Amino acid sequence: MLDVHVPPGNVAYFRSLWERRDYMVYSAASELRSRQMTSVLGNLWHLLNPLLQIGVYFVIFGVVLDVNRGDNYFAFLSVGIFVFGFTQRSTIAGAASITNNKGLLNAFSFPRALLPVTSTLTEAMATIAPVIVIYVVALASGETPSLQWLLLVPLLLVQLVFNFGAALTAARATSSVRDISQLLPFIFRLLLYASGVLFDVDKYADGKGYAWIFELNPIYCIVSLSRWTVLGGEFRLDLLAIFLGWTVALSAFGLVWFRAGEGGYGRD
Amino acid sequence: MAVTDAISQPTDPTTPRLTIAVRDLDVTYRVYEQPVLNARELATRGFRSRVSTSVEAIRSVTLDFWAGEAVGLVGSNGSGKSTLLRTIAGLQPKSGGHVFVTSQPQFLGVAAALKPRVSGYRNVYLGGLAIGLDKDEVTDRMDEVVEFSGLGDSMARPLNTYSSGMRARLAFSIATLRTPEILLLDEALAVGDRAFRERSIAKINEIRRDANTILLVSHNLNEIRQTCNRAVWLNQGVVERLGEVDEVLDAYEAWSDSKGR
Repeated sequence: MLDVHVPPGNVAYFRSLWERRDYMVYSAASELRSRQMTSVLGNLWHLLNPLLQIGVYFVIFGVVLDVNRGDNYFAFLSVGIFVFGFTQRSTIAGAASITNNKGLLNAFSFPRALLPVTSTLTEAMATIAPVIVIYVVALASGETPSLQWLLLVPLLLVQLVFNFGAALTAARATSSVRDISQLLPFIFRLLLYASGVLFDVDKYADGKGYAWIFELNPIYCIVSLSRWTVLGGEFRLDLLAIFLGWTVALSAFGLVWFRAGEGGYGRD
Repeated sequence: MAVTDAISQPTDPTTPRLTIAVRDLDVTYRVYEQPVLNARELATRGFRSRVSTSVEAIRSVTLDFWAGEAVGLVGSNGSGKSTLLRTIAGLQPKSGGHVFVTSQPQFLGVAAALKPRVSGYRNVYLGGLAIGLDKDEVTDRMDEVVEFSGLGDSMARPLNTYSSGMRARLAFSIATLRTPEILLLDEALAVGDRAFRERSIAKINEIRRDANTILLVSHNLNEIRQTCNRAVWLNQGVVERLGEVDEVLDAYEAWSDSKGR
């Protein structure tokens, strides 16, 4: 017989999540459909939203403030905003996944990680189409396509694993202390500036004592690496190593910490 | 999950199979007088002075449940019935003892709200897929769910337009989509109407006949008499009486009548 209070091993837990893959697909598809159902332009918003963001930041930072920018600020911004937004949306959705599904949590028994995992996959599916925006912007702004552009795809897959870890951590954190959901937007605002999404950090921080702060920031690492695939420049193996380290650490921590609260989700 | 030798199964096929073994179970809650963590409170009174009491909801309960039986859990409010059921489901942490089961129990709570802004149909998919069915299975059995829940055209409406009885009917229909080996019902039928209650009682009896185990918390003693073969009477976290359903319920009724007077 099984002891219900001894949690299943990670392999058994992953298997029970895998058995519920139909839930992930169905829930993600219906969530994405209902999200756009009420607007006139519907699914076009998945493309328009990043384009408008790029436009706004281009006007403010590129034209009005005229920040010290690289050669192709348009493509520079489009990669930064896209990569940053991917992690930001996944984390915030993960934080909301427990509170949004209280009814399901209280009604049925299932591995609780199903909810943050599904919300992360939903955001990943919403993100597939905007990848094209990056390539379109890069082409339109005069970059020459190369095979190196395709390296963005494996990088995004690693980022997806990072996002799972961030979503699991945020889900546990907000379900223990509700106030954290109020803090998340500010944390991401800070990260937006600390990750060099809008300006080239190297031009400001190079040689200064605080440059290491940026290099230890995982989002700065993935933003810079993604830019390298499209815009070229120097390949930074150290940033890749730091990002992989963060990905392993955060997803392991997120899984262990989330599972430690398995019995308590959905209750107040 | 850990396989244990602590409970040995009978090898003789004619003896019934043990499906739930509760051993010396203790559940203790810590209840704070001011349950909300509030900065002003913390600043003025500090962490230490928060008034808390521990409630011993379940005290060294040992029970065995077998395949093919339905057992009713009765007792006054606060006697620990729901806590016991949630602890068997693994949803409530225990403070001592053990709960062994043959497979993960399916727990169904009071008038479950599911996903409020989504239609009945979508809720059947989401709920069914969450408990581990695949999409084709749910599609194949959708007609059955609509018929059994008696919701008809309401299935296309979002759940926040449903009454609590309608929600309970839908949730019960979803939880029984796949016949669970162990089904735990916490007042799950209480708000359903009479016609639905009759259907669900028939369903429970059917599940029981298929050699599964059902535990039922209910204040409706007739419901328990119609479905259960045994009953457990809990009083202040302790098993007051355990045995044949009529015997236990008669004793419980006599006791609550004498208290009410």
